[in-house]
Amino acid sequence: MLRRKNFSDSHTFTTCTGILVVTTTMSWVQAAVSRPSEDVFDEDADELHLVQKEWKSTMEKRVKEGYRDGVEAGKELSLQQGFNRGYKQGAEMMMTCGQLKGTLSALLAWCHLNGQISALLSKISNLLAEVGKYEECVLKYMNSISPQPHLGELLDSVQDMDLSHTIPVENEFDETEAGRHCENESELSENSCRSNGGADSLHSDSCRRTKEHTHSERPTLAWLKEETFYLGEQLGLSLDILQHVQQLES
Amino acid sequence: MEAAASASDMFDAIVMAEERFHGEGYQEGYAEGSHVGVIEGRRYGALHGAKIGSEIGYYLGFALTWQRLLHRSAKEKPSKKTKALESLIGMIQKYPYEDPTYDKLHEDLEKIRGKFKQVCSLLNIQSDFRLNPERSALTF
Repeated sequence: MLRRKNFSDSHTFTTCTGILVVTTTMSWVQAAVSRPSEDVFDEDADELHLVQKEWKSTMEKRVKEGYRDGVEAGKELSLQQGFNRGYKQGAEMMMTCGQLKGTLSALLAWCHLNGQISALLSKISNLLAEVGKYEECVLKYMNSISPQPHLGELLDSVQDMDLSHTIPVENEFDETEAGRHCENESELSENSCRSNGGADSLHSDSCRRTKEHTHSERPTLAWLKEETFYLGEQLGLSLDILQHVQQLES
Repeated sequence: MEAAASASDMFDAIVMAEERFHGEGYQEGYAEGSHVGVIEGRRYGALHGAKIGSEIGYYLGFALTWQRLLHRSAKEKPSKKTKALESLIGMIQKYPYEDPTYDKLHEDLEKIRGKFKQVCSLLNIQSDFRLNPERSALTF
């Protein structure tokens, strides 16, 4: 609209409009129009004001349009990149959970077929439920990564995430710290248990209960692995049957 | 003459200004769009990856455990069961489950699912029988 107007009007008007607009909104063209302006402002003041407003809103529109186009283009390119990266991380993280679940399911099916006592069956089921909880924690963590931090920070946080430890929950830094502390303590007490003589099964069992209690809210991979081995022992299986569980890493 | 040249310069400047403003907005938008895109894509991708990772992991853990359980009890020659298990494990280990750009990602997954079902029926286990008491957050 502005452009058409400039075409039909006199050169003087165009120039003056140009100068006015340039001096008020674009300092960068100022150098290009250093010619002194004639005294025509007063006559056209009202119209100039109108044109100035129109110009401003047109330029604002251009910026907005540009922004929209830019967002679209930037998103289009980065969505796939983000997807690929996220996919790889998600797949690798969940592979571990899946293997643990598969292992326990196999044991459960095996016990079913061999007519094992129901106490053991329910133990396996309980442990499977714990793995399910752990899986949900990992999923939640993946979903909760806030969109605020920049890409570098995001990647760092994913790399730093050691799944063999307590899973950090967003905005609960203190609790996470406390949890880690708790875990260390329980590991300490467990070690002392072992050094007191592993033959004392009653003692170690009570120790286990405390440990289980500590972990009941948020299971860790290390604990789940340990429980799986303990279960294997109770089933009278040799360690090599669960060898692949030992190799599970976060 | 001079005035006319200057006027056309001005006209150019005005037309250029539109492009310039558009360009400035574009750059800002592009940066923002890239940032948002990576985050959105990542979240979406992580969920998809998690599904496949969990499923494939499940089959692998299941197959490896059964393979060793059978190996332990069977003194005789490799049976149909162990052969099927071996084949399933081989398929999973060859499967690039963590690579979203692999063009046969879904095709191969279907084959693995089929093999898993076959293994289950050989072992006399119902493959759709969910052994876990609670249904997983990730269903497959």
